[in-house]
Amino acid sequence: MRPDLTLTPEASLFVSATSLRRRLDWLNRLRWGVVVVLIAAVTVLGAATIIPLPVRPMLTAAGVLALMNLGYVVRNRLLPARSIRTEIRIVKLEMACDLILLTVVLNLTGGVENPFLYVYVLHVVIAALLFKGREIFSIAWLAIGLFTAEVVGEYLGWLPHNHLLGVSTMTHELSYILATLGSFWFVLLSGAFVSASIMRHNRAIKDELVARQGELVAADRAMIDFFRFVTHEIKSPVNTARSAIEAVMDLHADNLDPGARDLLDRAQRRLDQTTEIVKDLADLTRTGVLRHEPAVPVELTALAARVLDEQRELATATGQRLELRAPAGDVIVTTSGPAVAKILGNLVNNAIRYNREGGPVIVTVAPREAGARLEVTDEGIGIAPDEQSRVFDEFYRTAAAQRRSSLGTGLGLPIVHRLAHELGGTVSLASVPDQGTTVTVDLPDEPPAGPGGGGAA
Amino acid sequence: MSERTVLVIDDDIDLVEIIRVTLEREKLRVIDAQNGERGFALAREQQPDLILLDIMMGTVDEGFQVAYRLRSDPLTKDTPIIMLSAIGERTGFSFDKSKDADFLPVSEFIEKPISPRKLVDLVRRHLPTTN
Repeated sequence: MRPDLTLTPEASLFVSATSLRRRLDWLNRLRWGVVVVLIAAVTVLGAATIIPLPVRPMLTAAGVLALMNLGYVVRNRLLPARSIRTEIRIVKLEMACDLILLTVVLNLTGGVENPFLYVYVLHVVIAALLFKGREIFSIAWLAIGLFTAEVVGEYLGWLPHNHLLGVSTMTHELSYILATLGSFWFVLLSGAFVSASIMRHNRAIKDELVARQGELVAADRAMIDFFRFVTHEIKSPVNTARSAIEAVMDLHADNLDPGARDLLDRAQRRLDQTTEIVKDLADLTRTGVLRHEPAVPVELTALAARVLDEQRELATATGQRLELRAPAGDVIVTTSGPAVAKILGNLVNNAIRYNREGGPVIVTVAPREAGARLEVTDEGIGIAPDEQSRVFDEFYRTAAAQRRSSLGTGLGLPIVHRLAHELGGTVSLASVPDQGTTVTVDLPDEPPAGPGGGGAA
Repeated sequence: MSERTVLVIDDDIDLVEIIRVTLEREKLRVIDAQNGERGFALAREQQPDLILLDIMMGTVDEGFQVAYRLRSDPLTKDTPIIMLSAIGERTGFSFDKSKDADFLPVSEFIEKPISPRKLVDLVRRHLPTTN
């Protein structure tokens, strides 16, 4: 199915609460890393008596972080996602807890003496990745408040000070404290501002893309609906006119003079041509073949034989020989049978119509690595080199084809191209004017994954 | 043997005329309705020997709905129904009588454009033999 592109204003960062949760997975992994680092710092640094860290409080902090993170992980994995707004609120709460714990650890490890105080900046950056402008600043202000309280608290002696580098007077040097706080405020606020601007810019681009994609999807749907309507509206009157002509020819067969019968024949043929165009247009606008005809294992030799049988009447009428070349064993790919039959039917029909009189039409079925190859070869009028790239364009008919027949819709090969593409295959063409054409369709052994099974047409 | 009556329910008045001309030559009486509602009422009122019913009228499946109503009404439940369909397999639907008989309460499908000979054949085959 096509993705649901509707976004609420609050949720324009994330398509859903589920996608937010996926993004939180790496935040959880980061926290596990922090737990390990904390424990390692206490044991290694403590044991080596390089820096005397307060072992028990530090391990307690690591334990608290581990427990909190376990809670987050369990919630993420086991509990169903709530509304996106609730999820964002919960994540904000988690980040606030992280900041409080960081402040506690910082207090245990020297406070203003500890150069790791800029870990706060990391939180602001993470907030910028997860939230929008106001929330980023609320995280920055919370960090500033907590760190300032910690440093001022220690300075005023309201909070205990744990020395990091032996006995130091840093915590009581007012000028140092003011300089540290000043640089801290500046880095956090400017960091929040810059990252918020960058993210705002990125999100504007993303929103724009999402909106444009939505418009494209809507336009695509409108076009398909329009074509369906048009093809139906053309089909019914044409059918009625054909029925009327047939009724006249049938019911008045005895008193129709040959001239009148000829005119009715001509009218009938033109109506048949219109019907063909309408059917081809319907095929061309039928996107998502695999949605209509789910992929199943298809044996291609039997399918090709069936297609040739369907076309045999047309071939015999012009003295042509239809030949199927296939290996002894089955050639099986997982695909849409009706779509492949349509591809092959169009190619064989073209080959017959543009073949030399009495010429052969050879259909080859062959397995190939991770798929199969279908080839249709004729000895007909061929396609001039400068026209070969255009025969897959809608309604294009080569000059030689137009000379051969005024009938023909110019949609046969475009349909082949589109269907093959939707099945994950490719179409190629080799042709020499007046000698013949070989069209090759390579199909994968399985259709492409993704919405609708195939690429959008 | 009294004249047999065929009811044609189709919103395409031209097609109705074609069917009328074709069937009247076969000495059948043709009555018609241009929508499902009127067709159902006419079927109850006149009790035709056979009904020709278009699938796609006001809505894509109006014909089917009429067919179900005809089948559940005691007055019309045994009248043969031949459905007229412009939906070929190329548009993604295909009706196979043997496959769909279980849930489609109709006797036969005929694809548009209608061949007069085929229409007469089908109507003859499905007209009840006793009268």
